[in-house]
Amino acid sequence: MKMALETEYSPDADRIMAVSLGPQHPGAGHFRIRLWLDGDYVVKALPDAGYVHRGEEKMGEYRNYIQNVPHLERPVILDSSNILFAYSLGVDELMNSKIPSRGQYLRVIMSEINRIISHMYFIAIQGLFLGHTTMITWCMGDRDFWIDLGERIAGARVTFAYIIPGGVRNDIPEFAIEKGLRTCDWFEKRMDEYEKIFYDNPMVHQRSDGVGVLSREEAVAFGATGTVARASGLALDVRKDEPYSSYQDFEFKTPVLTQGDSWARAYVALLDMRESVKIIRQALKRLPQGPVRLKLGPQPRVPAGEAYSRTEAARGEMSYYIVSDGSPRPYRLKIGVPSAKNLRALPHLLRNVHVADIPVIYWSLNYWPVEADR
Amino acid sequence: MVVAERQKAGTFQVLVGKIDEVLQYAIGDPLRYLANWGRLYSLWPVHLETACCSVEVGAAAGSRFDIERFGTLEAFGSLRACDLIIVMGTVTRKLAPRLKLIYDQMAEPKWVIAMGACSITGGLYFDSYNVLRGIDDIIPVDVYVPGCPPRAEALIQGIVLLQEKIRRMPTLSGR
Ligand code: SF4
Repeated sequence: MKMALETEYSPDADRIMAVSLGPQHPGAGHFRIRLWLDGDYVVKALPDAGYVHRGEEKMGEYRNYIQNVPHLERPVILDSSNILFAYSLGVDELMNSKIPSRGQYLRVIMSEINRIISHMYFIAIQGLFLGHTTMITWCMGDRDFWIDLGERIAGARVTFAYIIPGGVRNDIPEFAIEKGLRTCDWFEKRMDEYEKIFYDNPMVHQRSDGVGVLSREEAVAFGATGTVARASGLALDVRKDEPYSSYQDFEFKTPVLTQGDSWARAYVALLDMRESVKIIRQALKRLPQGPVRLKLGPQPRVPAGEAYSRTEAARGEMSYYIVSDGSPRPYRLKIGVPSAKNLRALPHLLRNVHVADIPVIYWSLNYWPVEADR
Repeated sequence: MVVAERQKAGTFQVLVGKIDEVLQYAIGDPLRYLANWGRLYSLWPVHLETACCSVEVGAAAGSRFDIERFGTLEAFGSLRACDLIIVMGTVTRKLAPRLKLIYDQMAEPKWVIAMGACSITGGLYFDSYNVLRGIDDIIPVDVYVPGCPPRAEALIQGIVLLQEKIRRMPTLSGR
């Protein structure tokens, strides 16, 4: 099979025009794509990432395990619980701690709430790039109900910092359980409306069917994860393959589509949210009693060793590799983020497409530059 | 050629300044008030996302907070038509020259909102090797909106403060 980075053009041909898209461009935020165009067609595209590289991994080495919590959720602020989930799992593994079951359930609830928040943002902006203004106004508004629910539970808007090593930060208030169940009921009806107005819309089909097709083999070759892989027919889901925390207690499916185009990548997000709602409802109904966290103290000492942990974040597989030398600070912290994995497919997908399709394909990869650059 | 153009632009600025002075004396406050009022409710921000604070700008533009009520859009494509730049968070060493370039390309009068702790002082990333400690080293800032990320309401307050500033702007040319 063909790989993406081989070039198929001669640079001295007069027809080819080199254009830089971004970092200031409505179709590409905090990110640049270098394009070589032949008329309205893209001959070659090279992504230029790194505008938001903030040195998270290095910073992790001079903060202790608890101080690391707030800055480690910033790379993917839309999905802040899932990135902390992987970190906490790693630290728990190093410390050999046994998390109380109420804490486990609350972790799952928060991580699924965050998955919905992240996917809502994703399909809102996908609607914007497809010229579907209804979707961005609806989704951005509805997303706030979930953010509110998270705020009721964790006490902060967007940056929850809820999942920490040793459990969760605080218990869930009683009224939030009820509010959560109500939000679930309302949201399931709402998603039917999204299907009608967005996914069954002929205009959306025309603009995204068959645009940026990633076949199953290509998805394997590029190492795609998450929504991108599932839209191409790969049933990848860490929650199923390697259940962590208490995911084995819940009933849910891994949605898989086979088209592999931009429409499928957006639709997988909706199917994902349906499963998330199911998980949240089950977890809220069956929430066990008991403590929610272990007592760790402000400067926990972590025994020497190394741990690799992974979770299924909204965008795909999020992984941490933590090395400890027995001091209160990590010796090495490596974050493996799904956005960076999915970015590899971009130069391949942006070949022989119209310029107008670039934002659609780019955003359908669910790429979040801040996360990819760390 | 570039020099000639610059000189031309310089003369133009001087000319604008002169007209400005004449108008100040001749027509004075009513015209200034009118111009400022026009600028006040049509703030068009540049679409420059720099880091995670952009999520809250997205939320502010959504149907719940809806910053269009206050006379500003979420973002606009072309730089030349814009007069506001909201710096949404961390500015890294790679982005800093681009930020300066974008600021310089915008037409006068122009205003800057520094949103988030990162763009004010470096925030959480104050000791990172790749992050600027505040953007006011490279471009002048009009309004600071603290928070990490600032809530959408805080951003709205920042915009209202900026409008208050524009309303009191002493000259027509925006200087
Ligand atoms: S202030 Fe906080 S939310 Fe905003 S860019 Fe900085 S770290 Fe991100």
